[in-house]
Amino acid sequence: MARAKIKRGSTTVDMTAMCDVAFLLLTFFILAAKFKPSSAIEVTTPSSVSNKHAPQKDYFNVTINKNNQVFIDMDDGMKEDVLDELAKERNLTFSPADIKAFKQATFVGVPLSQLNQFTRLDADQLKKITLPGVPYDSTNNELQAWITAAVNANLGKKTNFLIKGDDAAKYPTFSAVIDAFKKNDIYKYNLITNAEDVPPGTELYKKNMEGKMSGGTK
Amino acid sequence: MAEMEVKSSGHKKGPGVKKSKKQSTRVDLTPMVDLGFLLITFFIFTTTMSQPTSMNLSMPKDTKNPDDNTKVKESGSLTLMLGKGNVIYYYFGNDPSKMQTTGYKAVRQIILDKKKSTPAEDLFLIIKPDKDATYKNAVDILDEMNIDDISRYAMVDPTPDEYDKIQQTEKSGGVQ
Repeated sequence: MARAKIKRGSTTVDMTAMCDVAFLLLTFFILAAKFKPSSAIEVTTPSSVSNKHAPQKDYFNVTINKNNQVFIDMDDGMKEDVLDELAKERNLTFSPADIKAFKQATFVGVPLSQLNQFTRLDADQLKKITLPGVPYDSTNNELQAWITAAVNANLGKKTNFLIKGDDAAKYPTFSAVIDAFKKNDIYKYNLITNAEDVPPGTELYKKNMEGKMSGGTK
Repeated sequence: MAEMEVKSSGHKKGPGVKKSKKQSTRVDLTPMVDLGFLLITFFIFTTTMSQPTSMNLSMPKDTKNPDDNTKVKESGSLTLMLGKGNVIYYYFGNDPSKMQTTGYKAVRQIILDKKKSTPAEDLFLIIKPDKDATYKNAVDILDEMNIDDISRYAMVDPTPDEYDKIQQTEKSGGVQ
């Protein structure tokens, strides 16, 4: 009886399918990645050893730039309510078009009197003009009014109050921002920072190591 | 690795006819897959790394009644005043005249020495950033509290006397 010849299988695998998958994933990630919006406000944040991620939801962010100007931005979901509260508080009226423009604006960088013109500017126009920032001095503390509006708009819900300051911003500005929060009975803030490693040999480092060790054995 | 699949042809040609080798059209895709996954890994890592972190800060309520203020033992207090040009002025206890100068790197040792020599319940750090301190200075020193595991500290404005003294020191030291 003639035996069937055993065919020697090739050891090479067809890579085409794998290649397809790899590039599909690559395309997906690139397209799905949110590009960092090129902000009109340039801020270099200081670094800290904190490893908590900054909250991305229900946030109300106060940015301080290096010229000690203050800007406000907030979660899209609460914009309309905040503007509503602000209108009540300051006896202002906003038309539906104003509200729509405000919802599309990424941040607030002008006094209330110029708000409607400001929100209608697009990204390119924003880069060309110099923004005055939100006033926070004691005679016309609009920052405080914004915070009050945010608090009232979000009653009963947790709002994360973020402060994002530039390295070169002066302390008195930071202090003024804190004061504006304090006037609204808000005492807890998240300072946006860059992550930094804990220096080895320090108390916190030892504490973290102990935590890890005991966590590992238990 | 390049594949050469030459099929053993079923029918044989005459003895003098040479077999013409059929070149495979397949390309080795292994390096391309490698590259693809390398890029994926790179993108995944870079996107997650850029997420900003946040440092929690809780401030106390302003009290109008002086009796409600936190009492600090003189022996356990260390006051750090943050001045212009990344300089820290510090003094122990209640005597600003013995003010000394240090920087942001060296301050850790001073804090740790104080921590070692003082009972934990008495230790209290008072941070006084003056008008010329930057936001970075304030965050750095708060971070230092975290690093050195100091749980009792407060951030207040310097008194006018202290501010004058810092100004004088800066003038004589030529700090811009």
